[in-house]
Amino acid sequence: MTVFSLVLLTYFMVVSGIVYDVIVEPPGIGSTQDPYTGSVKPVVFLPGRVNGQYIIEGLSSGFMFVVGGIGIILMDLALDKNRAKSVKVSYATAGISSVVIAYVMSSLKSQCGLSNGVIVEFYDLGYSHLILWC
Amino acid sequence: MAVTKTEPINGSTTKSSAPPLPSMPLKSDLLSILSLKSLRLKTKQQELLIRVSILCLVYVLAFITRLFSVLRYESMIHEFDPYFNYRTTLFLTQKGFYEFWNWFDSESWYPLGRIIGGTLYPGLMVTAAMMYWGLRFLRFAVHIREVCVLTAPFFASNTTLVAYFFGKEIWDTGAGLVAAVLIAICPGYISRSVAGSYDNEGVAIFALLLTFYLFVKAVNTGSLAWGLASAFGYFYMVSAWGGYVFIINLIPLYVLALLITGRYSMRLYVAYNCMYVLGMLLAMQIRFVGFQHVQSGEHMAAMGVFFLMQVFYFLDWVKHLLNDKKLFEAFLRITVTCAVGVGSIALGVGTASGYISPWSGRFYSLLDPTYAKDHIPIIASVSEHQPTAWSSFMFDFHILLFLFPAGLYFCFKRLSDATIFIVMYGLTSMYFAGVMVRLILVATPAVCLISAIAVSATIKNLTMLLRTKSKVSQTGSTKGTGGGKTSSKAMLDQSQPFQRNGAIALLFGAFYLLSRYAIHCTWVTSEAYSSPSIVLAARGAHGNRVIFDDYREAYYWLRQNTPPDAKVMSWWDYGYQITAMGNRTVIVDNNTWNNTHIATVGRAMSSYEDEAYEIMRSLDVDYVLVVFGGVTGYSSDDINKFLWMVRIGGGVFPVIKEPDYLVNGEYRVDKGAAPKMLNCLMIWNSDLVTSYPHQNHNDLRTYKSIWMYKLSYYRFGELMTEYGKPPGYDRARGVEIGNKDIKLEHLEEAFTTSNWIVRIYKVKPPNNRW
Repeated sequence: MTVFSLVLLTYFMVVSGIVYDVIVEPPGIGSTQDPYTGSVKPVVFLPGRVNGQYIIEGLSSGFMFVVGGIGIILMDLALDKNRAKSVKVSYATAGISSVVIAYVMSSLKSQCGLSNGVIVEFYDLGYSHLILWC
Repeated sequence: MAVTKTEPINGSTTKSSAPPLPSMPLKSDLLSILSLKSLRLKTKQQELLIRVSILCLVYVLAFITRLFSVLRYESMIHEFDPYFNYRTTLFLTQKGFYEFWNWFDSESWYPLGRIIGGTLYPGLMVTAAMMYWGLRFLRFAVHIREVCVLTAPFFASNTTLVAYFFGKEIWDTGAGLVAAVLIAICPGYISRSVAGSYDNEGVAIFALLLTFYLFVKAVNTGSLAWGLASAFGYFYMVSAWGGYVFIINLIPLYVLALLITGRYSMRLYVAYNCMYVLGMLLAMQIRFVGFQHVQSGEHMAAMGVFFLMQVFYFLDWVKHLLNDKKLFEAFLRITVTCAVGVGSIALGVGTASGYISPWSGRFYSLLDPTYAKDHIPIIASVSEHQPTAWSSFMFDFHILLFLFPAGLYFCFKRLSDATIFIVMYGLTSMYFAGVMVRLILVATPAVCLISAIAVSATIKNLTMLLRTKSKVSQTGSTKGTGGGKTSSKAMLDQSQPFQRNGAIALLFGAFYLLSRYAIHCTWVTSEAYSSPSIVLAARGAHGNRVIFDDYREAYYWLRQNTPPDAKVMSWWDYGYQITAMGNRTVIVDNNTWNNTHIATVGRAMSSYEDEAYEIMRSLDVDYVLVVFGGVTGYSSDDINKFLWMVRIGGGVFPVIKEPDYLVNGEYRVDKGAAPKMLNCLMIWNSDLVTSYPHQNHNDLRTYKSIWMYKLSYYRFGELMTEYGKPPGYDRARGVEIGNKDIKLEHLEEAFTTSNWIVRIYKVKPPNNRW
C-alpha cells in the first residue's frame, strides 16, 4: 500500500513535467498585458508551443491525471464483495465522478493549449498561411 | 420468448405477455443465419475466430495509419538521420556485406573522414536489405527506397503482435488484444515509425518488446529454449539501436527486485544466466559496441547481478546440504559480506585503473538532467532532448495517462513475476520519458500494456455485473432456504436494475473514451507526425495546399551544378541530406562525433567575414549552405539556431562569447541588435556605426559583418515579404532587419531557392595580388 502511494506520487511528479520545471525554470504562471487598459492579466497555458508549460499548469494537469486514475481504482474497489453497501456506493460515485471531471478538464485544457499549438498563422499579401511545425 | 423477471412489483412474478409479432420468425431466422452458431462452432472455436480476426484487423490498421505522408506527398525518406541510413542501405545492397562492414567514407567530415563500418548499428540496414533481397528473389522488382520507406510500418504491425503475446503472458488474452489495439495507434510510437521515417527506432522498439517478452516467458517457464531466444532477441536489439543500454540495465534491476522480494527460483537463474552470457557474447560481434559489456560503467550492473545470482545459487546449495539452521545463518552472513566486499573492491579497482570507463555523457545526462545543459551544449541543443512538459505527454498518450495508474493498481493487486516486470518497465521508462521528449517512444509499449490491463480488468468487472444479474435471479428462485439468504438476495434484487443500468452506462462511457482516444490518435498522426520535414506545406487562402520543396531543389542544384569534388560547409543538421541527395562532400554532419570540428564551423559562422574566410580556406571549403526562413516564416532556420552555434563554438574556442550577441540578455536581429550580431556575418554597414552613438565600441573591426547574418540577409532588404510592411521584413522573427545593405567580400551568391529557404554561396579564391 505504501509502495503504491509512493509510486503514484512519483507518477504525479513526472507527468507534471517536474524535470522540465527544474531545467528550463519557467515562471509559475504567465502574464500578458491588456493592450487597451494596461492591466496585467495572468495566462495559465503557455501559448504557441507544444513542449512547454508553466509550473502551475503542469501540476494541475498532473493532478487531473492522477485523480482520473484513482477514480478508476475506486470503481474497482466498489465492486469488492466484502464491503458494506454504503461504502461501495460512495466509492462508485466518487470513482465515476473523478473520471468524468478529470477527462473533461483535460480535454478543455487540450483545446486551449494544444489544438492550435502546432499551427502558426501568418497573414500576408491576402493569403493566410498555416505552417505546421512540431 | 417469454422472459421471466423476479421483481417485487405486486409481490408476484410477471411474465411479459406481449403477443408475438408476426415478423418475429423471419427475424430469428435471419439472425440465426448470421450468428456464429450457424457455423456449428464450439465456443472455444468461436473465441479463436474472433481473436484471430481482431489481430488481423489490428495488423492492417497499424500499417495503414502510418501511410499519411506517402499518400499526401510521395514515397520519400523524411527528416535527416534516415538519409544516412538510406545511403548506407543503398551501399549495402550494391556492394555487399563485406564492403559495407569495412567501409571508410571520405565524403563526410572532410578532411577527417568517417569509419562507417565501425560506427553504426547495422540492424536496420541489414533488415531492410534482407527484405529487399527476399522480394527480389520472389521476382518483385522493387526499388530499395520503397523497402526503406515501408520498413517502419511493417515492423510496427509486428510490434502489435508481440504486444498481444506479451499481454497474454502478463494478464490474459483480453488484455493482450487491448494492448495490441492501443499500441497500433498510439501517437508516441507513430511519431518515430511513420512511413518514410527510416530510422533505428522503427526496428528497435520491435526488438525491445520482443526481448522483454522472450525474457519474461523464460522467467515464467524456466526453459532454456526461451532463454536462448531472449539472448538472440537481445542481439537483434543491440544491432539495431544504442538504446539497448536500457535493456541491459532494466533486466538486472528486475532480477534484483525479484531477489529482494524473495522470488528467487531456478527458473530465474536459468533465464538470466542464459540471456546474460549468451547475449553479451553476441553483442560483442557488433563493432560499434565492441568490448563495452565488460569495460563500460553502464554495463556493470548486469555483471554485478550476474555474480550475485551465482552467490544466491551457492547459498541455496549450501542450505540444501546443511541441515543446521543456525550454522547456515552464520554462513549466510559471512558469505554475503564477503561477496559484497569483493564486488565493491573489484569495481573500485576497475574504475580507478581506468579499465572500466565511466558513464558516457549521453546516458549520464539521463540520470542527472542538469548535466547536459552545463557541460555538453551539443546534446542540450537537440530539440528532441529537451525535458518533457505535460502537454507532450497528453499529446502522445491521451487517455492512457488516466489508465496507467489504474493499471498499476491492478498489477499490484495480482503480483507475479511478470507483473513485477511490467511495473518496473513502466515506472523507469516513464521517468526517462519525463527527462527527454524523445524517450516517450520507449515508454509507449509499457504504458500501452499497463493501460490495457486496466481496460481489460475494468470491462471484465462491468460485464460480470451485467451477467451476475440473471445468474443470481435463477439461484434465488431455486434456493429458497434460509430467511437471511432470501432477504439478502431480495436486497440484491432490488439493486439489480440499478446496477445493471449503471454497468451499461459505464460500458458506454468506456466505449466513448476509447473512441475519443482513437479520434485523437488519428488526428495527431495526420496533422503532426506525417510531415516529411524535407518538404514543407502550408495552406493558401482557399484551403489549397502549398508545397515548399526548397530543400530538394537546393540539393539537386548542388548535385548538377557543382564540380564532383566540391566541399560544402553548412550547419551539421543538413549534412546527411547533402551527402545523400546532393552527393557532395560535407564538413560536418549529423553524426556529431567530433565536437571540435563542429565548433570550428560554429566559430566560422559567428565570426567576421575575414576570420571566417580564413577558417574556410583552412578547411578547403568551396560552397556554403544556409537555411533562411524569413520569407516564408519558417522558424527552424539557421538564424534561430544561431545561438547554439555560438554556444558550441564558444565551448571550444573561448574567443566566442555568447553575451556579445545579445542585447540585455535578449536575442534580436532588428535595429536594436547587438553590434557584434549585426556585424558578424550579418550586417556590414559603416552607416550603422554613426546611427548608434550609444554604442561604446571604438574598434572599427567590431562593425564588420558576422557571417551568418550576412549570408542569411544578403539582398533581403530589397524584398517585400508582407503586405503593408516595409521591405526586408523578416517573417520568422516578425521584425524588420537592422541592416539591409549587405556586401559580401569573399563570397558570391551561387543559388537561392524559389522561396529563399536555402541559400548557397560560392567561396571566391583569394585575390591574385595584394
